[in-house]
Amino acid sequence: LAISVKVPRNFRLLEELEEGQKGVGDGTVSWGLEDDEDMTLTRWRGMIIGPPRTIYENRMYSLKVECGPRYPEAPPFVRFVTKINLNGVHNSNGVVDTRAVSALAKWQNSYSIRVVLQELRRLMMCKENMKLPQPPEGQIYTN
Amino acid sequence: MAENSGTDPTVDSNVVENAASDRTMIVVTVKTPKDKEEITISEDSSVAQFKEEISKRFNAKQDQLVLIFAGKILKDGDTLNQHSIKDGLTVHLVIKTAPKATVCVTSQSSASSSGTPQANSSVNPSSAPNDSTTPDTGPTPASTQPPNLLSGFGDLSNLSGMGMGSANFMEMQQQMQRQLMSNPEMLSQIMDNPLVQNMMSNPDLMRQMIVTNPQMQQLMERNPEISHMLNNPELMRQTMELARNPAMMQEMMRNQDRALSNLESIPGGYNALRRMYTDIQEPMFSAAREQFGNNPFSALGGNLDSGVQPSRTENREPLPNPWGPPGTTPLESRGTGASTTTTTSAGGTAPSASNPLGINASGLGNGVFGSPGMQSLMQQISENPQLMQNMLSAPYMRSMMQSLAQNPDLASQAMLNNPLFAGNPQLQEQLRHQMPVFLQQMQNPESLSVMTNPRAMQALMQIQQGLQTLQTEAPGLMPSLAPGGIPVIPPTTGSSVAPENLPPPTQGSNPTATTNPSQQQQQLMQQMLQMFAGGGGGSLTQTVTPEVRFQQQLDQLSAMGFINREANLQALIATGGDINAAIERLLGSQPS
Repeated sequence: LAISVKVPRNFRLLEELEEGQKGVGDGTVSWGLEDDEDMTLTRWRGMIIGPPRTIYENRMYSLKVECGPRYPEAPPFVRFVTKINLNGVHNSNGVVDTRAVSALAKWQNSYSIRVVLQELRRLMMCKENMKLPQPPEGQIYTN
Repeated sequence: MAENSGTDPTVDSNVVENAASDRTMIVVTVKTPKDKEEITISEDSSVAQFKEEISKRFNAKQDQLVLIFAGKILKDGDTLNQHSIKDGLTVHLVIKTAPKATVCVTSQSSASSSGTPQANSSVNPSSAPNDSTTPDTGPTPASTQPPNLLSGFGDLSNLSGMGMGSANFMEMQQQMQRQLMSNPEMLSQIMDNPLVQNMMSNPDLMRQMIVTNPQMQQLMERNPEISHMLNNPELMRQTMELARNPAMMQEMMRNQDRALSNLESIPGGYNALRRMYTDIQEPMFSAAREQFGNNPFSALGGNLDSGVQPSRTENREPLPNPWGPPGTTPLESRGTGASTTTTTSAGGTAPSASNPLGINASGLGNGVFGSPGMQSLMQQISENPQLMQNMLSAPYMRSMMQSLAQNPDLASQAMLNNPLFAGNPQLQEQLRHQMPVFLQQMQNPESLSVMTNPRAMQALMQIQQGLQTLQTEAPGLMPSLAPGGIPVIPPTTGSSVAPENLPPPTQGSNPTATTNPSQQQQQLMQQMLQMFAGGGGGSLTQTVTPEVRFQQQLDQLSAMGFINREANLQALIATGGDINAAIERLLGSQPS
């Protein structure tokens, strides 16, 4: 019988912080604290490098990730800062629809910010998304 | 994490620019999706300074670098401290390049497993033993040296060309390709050629060409990814776009280079590459080389998402249009099958009949057809009818003919670019009119069969020779020398190269040009045209089948009692429709 240990939130987040700084993963996504002084480890920033051979290619998408008090039991809030046209992302404010991203919809406490970012990147590679016309590079959501 | 004073052994090899002795140096890992480097830098540096180091290490311009740490983009004005970048941490790097060459960046920034298929991948395995950056291997003195797709092709051709029929032609093709690739302008010229563009803009045509090649078919069976690739119109379109843009292609190739070199460094990677090469590339390569008119880049860029393996196979596709200006000076002889011995130096033509092209380093002739190389090709063809046959039987030739036929404008344009006609607008006019006719004839299997018949060819050449002599002897006679049975075949080129002064004037199966258009030749051309128009005496200058043409005469003959329709037809053809003469022939040939 495997008993899953509930890792305290801050431990988890610190671990993720370290991973972000060490560049764990394939280098196509990056994440870190928005503000290094943020002791609650709530506000995070993410970066997704647009996958090649898609319309997102060569662009870097900045995101804000908010890990609430119930993280990692509850999924984080994710929103794009850089404007993007992607199914599941609200056009007006860049908020990611939880239902559209399976990692968020079926969140597990073993998931992490990295997992979410990587999934978003995978979504960019889907047929239905990979050719969506995009706003000019560099624009950000203001609200 | 104790601060490291930079005594890490790897640091020693680093170039440490701002090695202020009283600053603490830290080692930061800079990671691209494919690459990883450790950079030593002072912990007080600015991002700009950091980028300076990075640009050296990664061989990229500073303004191409985008650094990301902990989800934030590092701006030049920031300091490493600001972002809490400390020793041992990792910063992500994206190297941006020019917009059109977006593939470049992504191939660098995308996981190496995406293996952007580049023609270079074909190069690398072969050159793997040497150097992973596509050296211009071997003795190709004249060709330019940039990362050269073709040099790889050249190498590979040795290996994969064994046992291929029409070896000579293959060599020629490959040499053309080599030249093509080494000279980017050539490539773009070819691309600009409406003929090529027309062909390439037709994905179906491309696809057909690829598919009809038996070797390709074999390959496709073995590697279903390829057929999948071919069936994906999106991919084809992408590829063709890519093909149109040589700059993009170069970028892609360069990246492929890097990708491959990285791949090799993986333990076991090299073996995988070799394996891949032998299993896939060889047949692919030989298959590919069969097909000239093929979209050269159909593999490049295309099908990038199917992983390394399949993508590599596609790269073998050869480069564009064979009728592109042929290669430059000879380059080493490729021992593909039979004879080799390449030859010549610029300006010379290959001595041996069986050897393709003493390729001349010509500048690009106008349009696709003009160059000394082409001339020598023609000459060789005349010496070796087999070559002609090989050429003609290649499926892509047919397709090319077809597309030419379908698009008379294109063809006329191509012809017009031909320097042979350059000086004579009249001729051009005529030619334009004759174009459709001419093209039809080209397609006429009869004419094809004549062209492949060595004796016929010889006869033709003799006639040509005679004609030429006549021209010199009695210039006034020429214009009036109407359809005197001067053979069909599309405008001949006269002697291949005046300086060479070779006896048998070469005849091409396609409108080729000499680089010495002369009055004589133009007149000759006029002759030819007239003959075409008149459906002249030659047995081939017929726009409609002889049967139809001579229907009336045939009827008459059969009414007279000559029941052997076949013989009648022959006789009629020989006499050009003259019934009386035909009857005489028939009577003369009938066993008494």
